[in-house]
Amino acid sequence: MEVQDKELEVRGLNFYYGSVHALKNINLPVYRHSVTALIGPSGCGKTTLLRCFNRMHDLYPGNRYEGEIIFEGKNILSPDIDLIDLRSRIGMVFQKPTPFPMSIFDNIAYGLKLRGIKRRTELSERVERALRHAALWDEVKDKLNEPAYSLSGGQQQRLVIARALAVEPEVLLFDEPTSALDPISTAKIEELAVELKREVTIIIVTHNMQQAARISDWTGFLMLGELIEFDRTDKIFTSPSQKLTEDYITGRFG
Amino acid sequence: MTVESRRRLMNNIALALSSLAALTGLFWLVFILLDVLINGIRGINLSLFLEDPAPPGIQGGGLRNAFVGQLMITLFATLIGVPLGVLGGTFLAEYARGRRISRVISIVSDIMVSVPSIVVGTFVYALMVKPLGHFNGWAGAVALAIIMIPVVLRTTEDMLGMVPWTLREAAFALGAPYYKVILQVVYRGASTGILTGVLLSIARVAGETAPLLFTSFNNSFFTWNMNEPVSSLTVTIFQYAMGPYEDWHTQAWAASLIITLFVLFITILGRLILKWRFGGSAR
Repeated sequence: MEVQDKELEVRGLNFYYGSVHALKNINLPVYRHSVTALIGPSGCGKTTLLRCFNRMHDLYPGNRYEGEIIFEGKNILSPDIDLIDLRSRIGMVFQKPTPFPMSIFDNIAYGLKLRGIKRRTELSERVERALRHAALWDEVKDKLNEPAYSLSGGQQQRLVIARALAVEPEVLLFDEPTSALDPISTAKIEELAVELKREVTIIIVTHNMQQAARISDWTGFLMLGELIEFDRTDKIFTSPSQKLTEDYITGRFG
Repeated sequence: MTVESRRRLMNNIALALSSLAALTGLFWLVFILLDVLINGIRGINLSLFLEDPAPPGIQGGGLRNAFVGQLMITLFATLIGVPLGVLGGTFLAEYARGRRISRVISIVSDIMVSVPSIVVGTFVYALMVKPLGHFNGWAGAVALAIIMIPVVLRTTEDMLGMVPWTLREAAFALGAPYYKVILQVVYRGASTGILTGVLLSIARVAGETAPLLFTSFNNSFFTWNMNEPVSSLTVTIFQYAMGPYEDWHTQAWAASLIITLFVLFITILGRLILKWRFGGSAR
């Protein structure tokens, strides 16, 4: 692979939960149309880092950012960034499926309606496109008006991905998206992630190192709030330059 | 006596005592309900619903004025109490979550639930009857609304608290502002629970007499005018049961039966909704 464009760049990022210093001087590029995996032992800060990209921490009082995350030339950590706009361009998929208590159609249309899209024909068209994208269309096309809770866990997770895709974001954040799913559903989500990187940039937090190795192009290894190593995934998994990384991926701790 | 046999004995004594206590409670409940049923059913006929009261001592007549009055007062109490209760509960569960003020209001509201309803009645009397110089239906509706508010508020708070945080985060992550998250996602998730709370609070106030005695009082004539004293079933029962005429007693029994059935219906409806929504684990 030749030199790629950076979709996002983290520069000197520190993050505090009140007085707890959770992320320490993180510097990290995120390349466009690639899958970047964040791995590390529990409590290392990988989810905390992921939630900086869409400013999810702003929901809770006492959280503080320092440093910069550059997205399209602007620092998205600056206080005057429009969070509603930011979150429509950087979508997120959570650990457990989070369908809203409404129909399958309305779930997908939710983000579109927030953007002010009201015309029924346009909504239908974009809902179908999003569901096809998330490889769910064939399974739900005959029951779009049924409640989203009627779907299986794996289908719900793909529904949530479709919901995030419907607003056509540039970046998708995955927070351990398969940890609550069975192996077959997991395989489908992984396949989807690899498929999707043609159009979106993906950052995925995972506990599962095989998963990181299977689907990501780049991997960042975090420990105790520090980024220990960042490199191409094959390099990290075959010849890491840091002893800690090697110990972790060979299962000596974590 | 061995340890085992002593334990078995204690167990049997505890079982016997608690069963006896439960049976005592049940006995009086069944006794009262049967009494209301048997005595009430005799007084039920079409003219009870379609005619206004006859002059005292004259046979016949009905309680049309009290049925309509009761429905009006309860309806307006619901229209005043439910929005305030739901909005208050939303404030506690969403905007003030985890803050000191939320706990303080919750505790005050729990105290409000157990304030004797006659206190609420006299409070509204001082506020809305004394200054106007006459009893009126609005005062009755406000008194019942004040009793409803803490019930609706606490149910709303609890039901919103049961909606998982990840659902809110998912809506935020799509770029929704907080008020849309609450209106479009959180309320939907909690809607059946809140509806049940509303129904139970209606059932709670429908049987109140004391707060109405000081506010809407009673009216022997039919009226739609909430600015006048308005008749209600509960106050009518109170007055008729104390009265000297056999006919009044029969009508009071009938009214008791109707209002008991109304409360029972609302309560069962509330339970059914809960059961349907939460799959059998009605709380």
